[in-house]
Amino acid sequence: MLRLFVFELYKLFRLRSVALGLLFAFLLPFLWALAPGLKEVYGLVLASGWQVVSLSLLAGMEFLFPFLVVMAASESLGSEVAQGTLKTLLLRPLPRSLLLLSKLFATLLYPFVLLGASFLGSLLAGLPHGLGPFFGGTGLGAGGFAGVGLLTPGEALKELLRAHLLAGAVLVPLAALALLYGTLFLSTTASALAAVATLLLMRLLVAFPALTPFLLTTYLDLHLRPEAAGLGLSLLLIYTLGFAFLAALLFERKDL
Amino acid sequence: MEALRLEGVGKRYGRKPVLQGVSLQVAPGEVYALAGPNGSGKTTLIRLVTGLAFPTEGRAFLLGEDVHQSPSARRHLGAVVEAPAAFYPYLTGRENLRLQAYLAGVREESRIGEVLARLRLLSVADQKVGSYSLGQRQRLGLAAAILHRPKVLVLDEPTSGLDPEGVELVHGLLRELSREGVAVLLSTHHLQEVSQYAHKVGILGGGRLLDEVALNGREVYRLEAHPPEGALALLKTLPQVAQARLQGGAILFEGNPEAALQALLQEGYRVKALYPERFDLLTYYQERVKHA
Repeated sequence: MLRLFVFELYKLFRLRSVALGLLFAFLLPFLWALAPGLKEVYGLVLASGWQVVSLSLLAGMEFLFPFLVVMAASESLGSEVAQGTLKTLLLRPLPRSLLLLSKLFATLLYPFVLLGASFLGSLLAGLPHGLGPFFGGTGLGAGGFAGVGLLTPGEALKELLRAHLLAGAVLVPLAALALLYGTLFLSTTASALAAVATLLLMRLLVAFPALTPFLLTTYLDLHLRPEAAGLGLSLLLIYTLGFAFLAALLFERKDL
Repeated sequence: MEALRLEGVGKRYGRKPVLQGVSLQVAPGEVYALAGPNGSGKTTLIRLVTGLAFPTEGRAFLLGEDVHQSPSARRHLGAVVEAPAAFYPYLTGRENLRLQAYLAGVREESRIGEVLARLRLLSVADQKVGSYSLGQRQRLGLAAAILHRPKVLVLDEPTSGLDPEGVELVHGLLRELSREGVAVLLSTHHLQEVSQYAHKVGILGGGRLLDEVALNGREVYRLEAHPPEGALALLKTLPQVAQARLQGGAILFEGNPEAALQALLQEGYRVKALYPERFDLLTYYQERVKHA
């Protein structure tokens, strides 16, 4: 099982969408650090390299990171179908659920690697602004980017790590959702589109206030609201398990 | 016990039946060739046998284990279900086989070298599969299929895309495996080639198994009699005669030639010639499919 998981990881990181995603996540912070319109858009004048890290996270979580995660999870199954290797794997005496579980674990790890690449790129891009103590905030804690006084590097790092971990947890059910659609459609494009469409549809459901606390999309900004982590993380876990269970159920009797 | 057994297997997509009530058996050491025109259901049948697709009716067994109920039944199975076989293009042939060996529970590294040598792939074993020709990929597919010494081999058009040497290599391998007791089920359009060593041919048409032709020890007689239609009708009534049919003005039949001759002469037919003839599988197949 471990070897299968390692192989799934290896295959995942060979996918074009994953390679491109990691490249974008690493390089985009350099673009943000040089962007001339930050004040107009975010009301921010960069005072510290730590703000580049949070800015990259906030910008990425708007659309790019969820999209990249959905693409990667969709392609992890879709590419195997397209090149015919899924059949080759399933001809072996291997339970289908085990194969899907390995794929799921690999795709669930990807959001954290993606955010890690963004974090690393942001730190490097932020170096010219300094990573020492500064007057202001990370945009993720009290006072937003303006902050509430002097912020030490330790406090900034803690806020940023927490936010990145929460963002990773937010992206996990999206990967599971895309994999579920992957098992249903056996196509990268169809499953990515279906996952994105589902998220857009869920966003529209805010018109039903009774449903809002239970919607996946309600917690897509959990990294900005760590106080909601208790309920949020529990629901994200339930969504992840639910999507994974449905994917395994579908895949078990899927014709190839 | 049969190595492979299908019991009334059928598959339909929506209301459209693709395969209906197919039952067949392949014994250890037997080569069973599936023939049929495009769209007759050969590939669907192969997907059902290998457990890649699920039947809407019937069951498929590998050495007595239901392949759709128990994934472990596939430990007996070696298969190539696509032409050319699919592999990870960024891994070398040897690395791809190493992965297959792990999934099949093969621990001996030397076995990988053995099958690569058997399929004449050692010279390209350490090249990425992405650079392989179609024929090399097809041969690598066979190497992967026999890696774990399966008892049942299922192949979808195994000689597709191969040059004449490759075709001969594959036929030689299948003959050898059959002698070792491996049951082989293969689909093919090249009936003349497989008739050299296949034991049985199943003819599929319109999703049904139209006929099963046993090739072992089969003696066919060619009879030229006048009038041929009447002679054919008479032969069909004789219990000692089987599979009588008209072909190009002559009658081909199997069974007892003496009994046939005696009956024809008794009824006053003029018999011009009666002699044994090699069974022409291709012609038989063409007629069987045409009249299906």
